[in-house]
Amino acid sequence: MAIVSIRELSKKFTETAAVDDLDLEIGDGEFVSLLGPSGCGKTTTLRLLAGFLQPDGGEIRVGGEVISSPTMVVPPERRNMSMIFQSYAVWPHMTVAQNVAYGLKFKKLAKQEIDAKVNKLLGVVHLAELKDRYSAELSGGQQQRVALARALVVEPQILLMDEPLSNLDANLREEMRFEIRRLHEEFKITTVYVTHDQAEAMATSDRIAVLDHGRLIQAGSPAEIFNRPKTRFVAEFVGKANILNGRWDGDGQLLLSDGIKIRLAGGDLLERSSAVSVCLRPHNIALIADDAEARAMAERSYNVFPGTIGRSIYFGDAVDYTVDLASGASLRVIAPPSQRFSPGQTIYAAAHPDHCVVVRD
Amino acid sequence: MAVSQTGTLDRAGHTGRSAFRFKDPTLPVWLGAALFLVFLMLFPLGAIFRASLWDDAGLTFNKYLEVFTNEQFLKAIWNTLIISIWVGVIAVIIGALLAWLVTRTDLPWKKPIRALVMASFVTPPFLGAFAWTLLAGPNAGALNKLYRFVTGSEEALFNIFTMPGLIFVMALYSFPYVFSMIANVCELISSDLEDAAEILGANKWRIAWTVTFPLAMPALIGGFILAFLHSLSLFGAPAILGLPAGLHTITTQIWALFQYPPRLDMAAAFSVPLLLATMVLIAAQKKILGRRGFSTVGGKGGQKRLIRLGWRRFPVLVIVFGILSLSIFLPYWILLKAALSKAWAMPLTWDNFTLNNLSFAFFQYDDTKLAIYNTFKLGILTATLGTLLATLIAYITNRNLFRGARYLTFFALAPLVIPGIVLAVGLFIAYTRPPLMLYGTVWILFVAYLTKEMPIGFSQAESTFKSIHPELEDASRVIGANRLTTLVDVTAPLARSGLIAAWSFIFIGVIRELSASILLFAPKSKVVSVVIFDLKEEGQVGVIAVLGILLLVVSFAVILTVQWFAGRDPVATRE
Repeated sequence: MAIVSIRELSKKFTETAAVDDLDLEIGDGEFVSLLGPSGCGKTTTLRLLAGFLQPDGGEIRVGGEVISSPTMVVPPERRNMSMIFQSYAVWPHMTVAQNVAYGLKFKKLAKQEIDAKVNKLLGVVHLAELKDRYSAELSGGQQQRVALARALVVEPQILLMDEPLSNLDANLREEMRFEIRRLHEEFKITTVYVTHDQAEAMATSDRIAVLDHGRLIQAGSPAEIFNRPKTRFVAEFVGKANILNGRWDGDGQLLLSDGIKIRLAGGDLLERSSAVSVCLRPHNIALIADDAEARAMAERSYNVFPGTIGRSIYFGDAVDYTVDLASGASLRVIAPPSQRFSPGQTIYAAAHPDHCVVVRD
Repeated sequence: MAVSQTGTLDRAGHTGRSAFRFKDPTLPVWLGAALFLVFLMLFPLGAIFRASLWDDAGLTFNKYLEVFTNEQFLKAIWNTLIISIWVGVIAVIIGALLAWLVTRTDLPWKKPIRALVMASFVTPPFLGAFAWTLLAGPNAGALNKLYRFVTGSEEALFNIFTMPGLIFVMALYSFPYVFSMIANVCELISSDLEDAAEILGANKWRIAWTVTFPLAMPALIGGFILAFLHSLSLFGAPAILGLPAGLHTITTQIWALFQYPPRLDMAAAFSVPLLLATMVLIAAQKKILGRRGFSTVGGKGGQKRLIRLGWRRFPVLVIVFGILSLSIFLPYWILLKAALSKAWAMPLTWDNFTLNNLSFAFFQYDDTKLAIYNTFKLGILTATLGTLLATLIAYITNRNLFRGARYLTFFALAPLVIPGIVLAVGLFIAYTRPPLMLYGTVWILFVAYLTKEMPIGFSQAESTFKSIHPELEDASRVIGANRLTTLVDVTAPLARSGLIAAWSFIFIGVIRELSASILLFAPKSKVVSVVIFDLKEEGQVGVIAVLGILLLVVSFAVILTVQWFAGRDPVATRE
């Protein structure tokens, strides 16, 4: 059951469309990420949801009620939402406790009730000891926790997050991803999370909506987005991808321009002779040195391409190779470090048809 | 999950009324402030154009014709031009020299020098002019007496009541404008640019001349225009030093047109060229400072190495303090002496010492008592309401609260191009007739001050808001605070030291204001500057000195308080 329903939403800034005919349904208690490169309209969408911006077209409904349309916008303070900002936006003239308590001021609660709620939330985000500090005396991660507590204490119907982790350093960012997910599991607040970092979106979300140029390209679970990208843009933006171009021959195989054939799963919908692209994830390609083993793979209907190792970069937990195919194309392959190949070595690259996904350009 | 608040709201705004319900409920406050500002600016300007273009017979250009064929008026325009050009040139020379020395050389005592330049800035020019009548009046002037004593001559060395004397005094109080402008630029010019020249073999003086100087050129021209404009709009100094010599400038001529029998229409017509000249010059200055190339000077500025003055340090220091003694030490000394002596021209001995001037000014003389009361009442009132209005307007423009909000900037800064006396002409005409009869009360002065000080308050508030991240406000909006609550709870506390600075700038500007007050005061609404001007006619030197020192002491106290507060502000120091 969708609680947030975005229909044909459009917003223009000086003639360029920041959000262009966007449709998205968000279920109650769902955690949805808006993922895309900068300028894709994800932050604009979030600010439209928050009521800071008025749409030029379309509407946003929450629980069936229109809250944004070109003629009418419920102001942010009356939407029962909370928002977490890139800059944390912790007020420097208030203590941690005052920051967290601020939103309860508008709820007409007794003082003890406010104190109890503030203390509970500060405990949840592990800040109980720091309640009398000012923001300048906190680290970035602690400030982000204050922002989280401040947003959650008002028990919002919907929580909006605008790249909340982008100002944190890498280790802390990883820790906070899990923290955000943990809090979501605990409170089950419907959440819209904006990020340009696909790993962040994967770690936190129930569903990811990939945006580009103000349009929704694909929405689905993290696994769907990663394993079944619909377009080349999604394939390349979410994770690493090898894209091979070719032509569909109509019988379960893809005819590449130089004659190599690739077997696909689920290619039946394509028209014969249409130009298509195939996405292969570097992790999903196996490297095989042994001829017999390669033949065995081919018999088990794997796609097997002969080639030579181009370069190899050792990362400790993986090795990043390029494999130059006979056709002249080259594949990027990320293999476990247990087996090592050296540049110039002849090799077979094998990929299961399920891992060869047709994508639109 | 929390109950949906949206359940209580109407469906889409199909009717005008329900659409209005969702509009920002604080909108009337913003619109009200905006309309008030526009009215404040347009009403007096409209009055000037109306009075200069219309008479009983309808539209007429006769007043302009009359003004610009009258030899006396043309002479006043000519005098103003000559004076302002010279003031501009001298101010640029002094200001640029001091700014360069303070920012780019290893001159000692930079902090006291900067403080003294600041003091020159704060000193009202009419007070400086008055002090210089005591220092260099042809007969009793202290410096002339010293000269006669030393040389045995019967002649006076200086006569301040001349055009050169007037130019000299006005330049002394105009150079700080140039100083601050050039000092800013010099601090931004990175030593890298100068190093590049040094590697090519230029010596340091040549570098200063061929690299630093050209880079600072737009600022020099901008500074010239600023000083030129400043002297164009001054009333007090030319009135005190020029009028006794029969020397009229545009401002004193406008003032004269207000004396009996008043010719308001002529004053209005005569104000228009001053207004237009100011507008053109400000536009020119903007253009020069905004040009490409000047902006390459911008940025953080790399590391700076200071030019060694070597043995020249001492003579340079003497020159610097010589200049500052002309604007600060000598005038302040003579004012202090005059305030504390029975006969100001006599040496300050125990026999000559008195506190009568103080008790006269503060306790006995009703005129001064009332003026002091009026001045500080108006100062506090204008500063408080001015800061409030400037805050609201700056907030509207900064956060772009409604369509066309940015045009408010134009209105808030408009008084920059309105010389005080021109504003007074407009206000006088506008508020001496129904529906708003303010003349005769302190309220017309209040309106004048509010208008005149709006640019400084607005720019201060505007730069303060610029430094506050909008997300700090969004964070408050989204968890339940409306715009006004947010402004009170979040924005204002964060802007506090900036707004206190705006308050004090307005306050200091108000208590020293003369050129608008001189046309708008009534017997019951005299202010200190006007009383000083009046008492000069009566020769009450000691009382004038007391009042002048009062203005200076209060101004400096306010500045020091603000600096102290800014240094302690929890938000400012934590950031």
